[in-house]
Amino acid sequence: MIMDRREALLLPVSPWFIAGSLICALLLSMLLSFSQALWMPDVLAVCIFFWGIHQPRRVGMAIAFVLGLWMDVQHSSLFGQHALSYVVLSYFAFSLHRRLLWFPIKEQMLQIAPFFILAEAIGLLIRLSTGNDFPGWPMLLAPFLETLLWPVANFILLAPQRRAHDPDANRPI
Amino acid sequence: MALESLDRSPPPFFRVGFAPLTKLVFFSALSLLLMFGDMQLQFTKPLRAALSTLILPVQWLVLQPGQALNFVGKHFQSLEQAQENLKAAEIKTLELSARSQQVEQLKFENQTLRQLMGLSSNISTPSQAAEILFDVPDPYNQRLVLNKGQVDGVVLGSPVIDAGGVIGQITRLLPMTAEVTLLTDHQQSIPVLNSRTGSRNITNGDMLEGVPMIELKFVPASADVKEGDLLITSGIDGVYPAGLQVARISHIERRVDISFARIHAKPLAELQGRHVLILQPTGAIAASAASAASASTKGKAP
Repeated sequence: MIMDRREALLLPVSPWFIAGSLICALLLSMLLSFSQALWMPDVLAVCIFFWGIHQPRRVGMAIAFVLGLWMDVQHSSLFGQHALSYVVLSYFAFSLHRRLLWFPIKEQMLQIAPFFILAEAIGLLIRLSTGNDFPGWPMLLAPFLETLLWPVANFILLAPQRRAHDPDANRPI
Repeated sequence: MALESLDRSPPPFFRVGFAPLTKLVFFSALSLLLMFGDMQLQFTKPLRAALSTLILPVQWLVLQPGQALNFVGKHFQSLEQAQENLKAAEIKTLELSARSQQVEQLKFENQTLRQLMGLSSNISTPSQAAEILFDVPDPYNQRLVLNKGQVDGVVLGSPVIDAGGVIGQITRLLPMTAEVTLLTDHQQSIPVLNSRTGSRNITNGDMLEGVPMIELKFVPASADVKEGDLLITSGIDGVYPAGLQVARISHIERRVDISFARIHAKPLAELQGRHVLILQPTGAIAASAASAASASTKGKAP
């Protein structure tokens, strides 16, 4: 069954790597947000969605909610705005996780793009309904750039699981 | 449960926790509640204050690479440019010294005139210097973060100025930091006085062709306004002390079909250095002065 996924058998994931990658994505996201560019993709959203697909029992909506609150303080936005969009993203990752990995990566990208657009739209809708102006068209680029980051995330975040496992006394091969 | 062994254990069949939809509804409701609380009831303030104190060292850490690059870039700035800057600064100092010598004399004259007319004297405004940490990373609003907060005695609503003029007002106070909303933000207003005609107006932040400006509101199309007029704070709002420079009028558009003129002004705040001055709101000073006066009279009465 697993071979049908066109993916070699993967090593089990280390929880420390998941935590480390989420923290790295958080820091990178904070760093990129200081540029204030509208088209800047949300690296943290991609990372949450990725682990939501690959490890749905590890990274769920609670983690997405807490990380969202952190980003709300960082952006000084309405408390709960990023939390809501991350939670929705995480929910759709869970509902997609059994199906998505059977497709090759290009078709995966096609299927996940709407959810990044949805997450962006939730943020925009909340801002517009609380009296902010539309900030500009470049923001529509962000979800597409996030989709383009999907193969990159696949390469980087699965790399530790793709390496050959180290043999020990119990597993000589 | 050992952390590494989870993948080799079978997934739980009977105790799988809440259904994903239940979790989605719960967390969505929680974030909507938080958003409503943040906007209307302010009960999220302690949570935000705690998180912002936690996040500050991380923000500092994240900003270091950029600041290091900036420092290196400045280090290799050409000598010529440095000499030019020095020359400009010297000229400016000379100009300012000529004015400051007059100020002493004018201040004295003003005080005697005020005494003659029986007006209460101008209250000097206590202030404290602060440093700009970074722009708030939010493309929807124009705000800055300063390194002084509740701990340093900053008051919510205080005006913030720099060498050029008024920058804005403190709109969010956190334990270690404070957020300034710039005058060019579309939700920020300031009452101004046209220093040439003496007419009072209110302004709003506005974008004009992608450049942040401030817009004069409700000025009749026939009003006496010219390009280059200096706008200063009028001092009638109980927040900004009177006479601070705000902006200079740069664009006037009068149209026949609208009874109001569209007037834009360029803010005078330079926002180039790192240091700004936080002033006490004048209302707070007046209130404390009044309470001190009443206390002293009470003391004298018996």
